[in-house]
Amino acid sequence: MSSLFAYDDDREAASAARVRALEALLIEKGVLGSDSVDAVLAHFDTVAGPFNGARIVARAWTDPGYRQRLLEDTPKAIAELHFPLGMDGAEGEHMKAVANSATVHNLVICTLCYPWPVLGLPPYWYKDPVFRSRGVREPRAVLREFGVPVAAGVEVKVWDSSAQIRWFVIPERPADSAHLSEEELAALVTPEAMMGVALVPSPVP
Amino acid sequence: MKLQHSLGGLENLGPVNLDTRVFVQEWEKRIFGIHTVMMAESAHLDEALPRYPVAALPTTFRETWTWASLRTGAEAMQPFEYFKYRYYEKWLMGISQFFVDRGYVAAGDLERLTAHYRQLPGAPLPQQPNPALKTQIAAYLDRGDSGLRPAPAARRFAVGDTVRVADPAAVDHTRLPGYLRNKKGVVTEVYPGAFAYFVSTGPDGLDGPMPVYCVKFDAADIWGAALCEPHTTIYADLFDPYLTHSLEGQA
Repeated sequence: MSSLFAYDDDREAASAARVRALEALLIEKGVLGSDSVDAVLAHFDTVAGPFNGARIVARAWTDPGYRQRLLEDTPKAIAELHFPLGMDGAEGEHMKAVANSATVHNLVICTLCYPWPVLGLPPYWYKDPVFRSRGVREPRAVLREFGVPVAAGVEVKVWDSSAQIRWFVIPERPADSAHLSEEELAALVTPEAMMGVALVPSPVP
Repeated sequence: MKLQHSLGGLENLGPVNLDTRVFVQEWEKRIFGIHTVMMAESAHLDEALPRYPVAALPTTFRETWTWASLRTGAEAMQPFEYFKYRYYEKWLMGISQFFVDRGYVAAGDLERLTAHYRQLPGAPLPQQPNPALKTQIAAYLDRGDSGLRPAPAARRFAVGDTVRVADPAAVDHTRLPGYLRNKKGVVTEVYPGAFAYFVSTGPDGLDGPMPVYCVKFDAADIWGAALCEPHTTIYADLFDPYLTHSLEGQA
């Protein structure tokens, strides 16, 4: 958290008390059950999360035919992996994948939208107005701040979706990873890599 | 113009935030959860594509609550205020106010109970589980609320067409990024079908099922060659009403 939005404990305690009061009143008034909010949070711990996206990316790295299908018809290719649930759940109804390569680096920056089923809930940096403001104007400078320098000859593609399409990035497979299983590869893939603000590092030997 | 509609391209904001946590405070989880439950029991879902039996749900909530509700609230904020609050603080303010305005919660009760939990942060919540609502929450999260509808008879644009982004009046809510207004781009994809948005945005243009296009912009055409980084392309998915033929709207 940068200092800009890091608040003193008092302000956080006030917000914590207010949200607890609101939830208590909504339970009392019959708007929510006392198990409703926990049901939502459990879904994002176990069902919808970046672990799904990581599996998709690892399959694309190990199976060139799958990678091709993923780029051509993303929802259909995702369905091939037989996730316990369709990946067309809330906020993932219409997915599109784009691939990084030696000549193209992709950055996803849609304003207030995020593919929940595949990537889980959006991290703080993604929602921060500074990222959303600067990402479309100076993506290379932003990427440098994330520790991802992009060479001058590489094209930067910024994907800004304010309609209902949700984009994610297939990052480049790291060097020295030929010996890894699909599962081990998936463990290397972060939400940041699937939004284009991180590279996937080579495995630690 | 509204600042919240035109974040793209603002300068002097300083470094980006690198925090990868989803929730930076535990309390933020609760307001995220409350919002998502509201979406899962929103009255409009009985007409959504997966028809959810929300009218029969044992809940007193009889409102339409979608992303558009939350976004409209954030876009209505005084712009200086908008930047003063962290993401989920804005949600907490907007959602609390909504329940007060709609008469579900009395402002005085909320203040009193807030003071109570401030004194006793560990004091329990009322225990009143709602199994039917829990089932609906799972169904909603699994099956979603797709805006996809059958394709319209004709589309105004095809892949390769040069288009100009429209410049409609700035109203309460829009899905048109402000920095693209009046800019020229090329259609790279016409998405199958048509997409409905949660609400009509009136003079802004969103209404009913609409084709959606992916439009490619050279960064130099948006910011000017001297003011942008080289070798940069911006792709934006735009609803049909936000596009005009390239000659229309030219000065």
